[in-house]
Amino acid sequence: MSTLTPPQPAPSPAPEPSPARRPKPARLSLADVIRTGGSGLRSRPMRVFLSALGIAIGIAAMIGVVGISTSSQEELSRKLAALGTNLLTAEPGQSFTGEQAHLPDDAVRMARAVPEMESVSAIGKTDAKVYRNDRVPPQETGGLSVYAARTDLPDTVGIEVTGGRWLNAANTKYPAVVLGSRTAQQLGIDEAGPDAQVWLGDRWFTVIGLLAPNELAPELDSAALVGWPAAERELGFDGYPTTVYTRAEEAAVTDVQEILGATVNPESPNEVEVSRPSDALAAKQATDDALSGLLLGLGAVALLVGGVGVANTMVISVLERRAEIGLRRSLGATRGQIRTQFLCESLLLSALGGVGGVALGIAVTTGYAGYQGWPTVVPLWAMAGGVGATLIIGGLAGFYPAVRAARLPPTEALAAA
Amino acid sequence: MRPPVVDLDGVAKTYGDVAALADAHLTVRRGEMLAIVGPSGSGKSTMLNIMGTLARPTAGTVRIDGHAVDDLSDRELSALRARTIGFVFQSFHLAGGVPALDAVADGLLYSGLPRGDRRRLAEAALRRVGLGPRLYSEPHQLSGGEKQRVAIARAVVGDPPLLLADEPTGALDSRSGAVVMELLHELHGAGTTVVVITHDRDIAESLPREVRIKDGRIEHDSAALRQEAVAR
Repeated sequence: MSTLTPPQPAPSPAPEPSPARRPKPARLSLADVIRTGGSGLRSRPMRVFLSALGIAIGIAAMIGVVGISTSSQEELSRKLAALGTNLLTAEPGQSFTGEQAHLPDDAVRMARAVPEMESVSAIGKTDAKVYRNDRVPPQETGGLSVYAARTDLPDTVGIEVTGGRWLNAANTKYPAVVLGSRTAQQLGIDEAGPDAQVWLGDRWFTVIGLLAPNELAPELDSAALVGWPAAERELGFDGYPTTVYTRAEEAAVTDVQEILGATVNPESPNEVEVSRPSDALAAKQATDDALSGLLLGLGAVALLVGGVGVANTMVISVLERRAEIGLRRSLGATRGQIRTQFLCESLLLSALGGVGGVALGIAVTTGYAGYQGWPTVVPLWAMAGGVGATLIIGGLAGFYPAVRAARLPPTEALAAA
Repeated sequence: MRPPVVDLDGVAKTYGDVAALADAHLTVRRGEMLAIVGPSGSGKSTMLNIMGTLARPTAGTVRIDGHAVDDLSDRELSALRARTIGFVFQSFHLAGGVPALDAVADGLLYSGLPRGDRRRLAEAALRRVGLGPRLYSEPHQLSGGEKQRVAIARAVVGDPPLLLADEPTGALDSRSGAVVMELLHELHGAGTTVVVITHDRDIAESLPREVRIKDGRIEHDSAALRQEAVAR
């Protein structure tokens, strides 16, 4: 046995002066804080996964909504870039007396006189209707219209001919017709050629070409287009254009838009309706924003529920780990260090959900955009915002449990073992 | 004379109306090894909590390694524990899934040492308690006696002047218990102050000094008796 301690008077003769150096707690390095916070997560992987999943679903919903709407906007701007935003149309409005007005027959020539104008073309609506054959009852028009078209129409509108050819100087005098995409589908015409005949204005017309769908001029999709002279001769067309299409220089579009009415109809400019089809396309997009707002709100609710899940997990974690808290206090952890540990654990837990949610949101966006044939765009601010929001939620959710853990008296914590 | 590590002067602790400890006077000097022995409910756990600065006394003064506990804030007490006191508990307090080396290195987590040093010292401490081959074993791979040796390594890894062992053999069979007690004797031999809290009279009698406690009062202190004998 070891040596006995020599006997001594108790208590000690004089109270020793307190040592000059008061004990000062050491600071944990950031790596130690993260490692300690993560230790609680490593020991309960299933619970961590499920809690993080709650957060991830909320974030994924929000990223998905933002990503899908951004992708569709990107698709629109690409489309507009391809179609051009410099197309302007002029149509007859109503006259002062409320009757249907008409554009002057030299509207195209006058529009062409504007220096900033790149190209001008026109169509004119006829009263004729087009049918699959001569046995279809006349009232079943199928919403299709017959227009006289100028030969320079494709250059101005940017419409594509997918089959056959467009009207030219040679065939405009003859019963030849070019069909819009919906018209061709409705009349059951798959291919242009001498065999493809449609019943148009009480006689057979040969389909010489088919058009691709065009979003800037959707009225052409359900149109049958015949040459200007043929329309006048065969269909009793009055020769007034009903839509003048113009392409102006990109920089001068708004200026041209203002003067176009007066240019095509100097006598009564207020009887002309000028519009810019690309604006209508963009406006259609804007109406989708209301739905996006609703979905974003749902995502926020999901995120909130996820945050409650994290708070619940943290409260349970603190209850279960009282013994660990007691041990750490006995090893010299301050209340602040215990608080930091649990706060860090909560932040790590929700950050895990946030990163997972961003990845899930990108996957959802990619999948949907791919299905729609859009480019995938997820804005950086949405990703950063998603992770940032989870950190705020983690901080809020972990705050109360962390404070509770820190307040636990060490003796009580150790007794819980 | 060696300086006292623990100095209790008229210390009392009451919980509501219940006096868990009353008018306790006790001085433990550096390098001593003693048992605080008593039946359950005698107040020995309260004594351990007060000596370990985990609880503050209701009355009297406590000095640990020269620091008056009353003067120190909770933060400063935490720092004092990190540097001065090592704890060994009956139930080991080893977290599942954590290898022995990391568990022991955690004993220095709040000391301010960098991680590399903590792990190096932890390895040395594990070798010192005879667990050199078990550095990477997790608690479920260790026997009860080995677990308690890991816990002892964690308590002494920072070389604290005071080691408080609360029923260190309470959860062990007698053979493992004997090994643990032998280890505590070795640590004492190397200069560590060891206080063993136990209800086991045999263990208490085998230690150089025995403080018996009953109903919250110290009723026998072998050092005090010796001191009286010398005085006569």
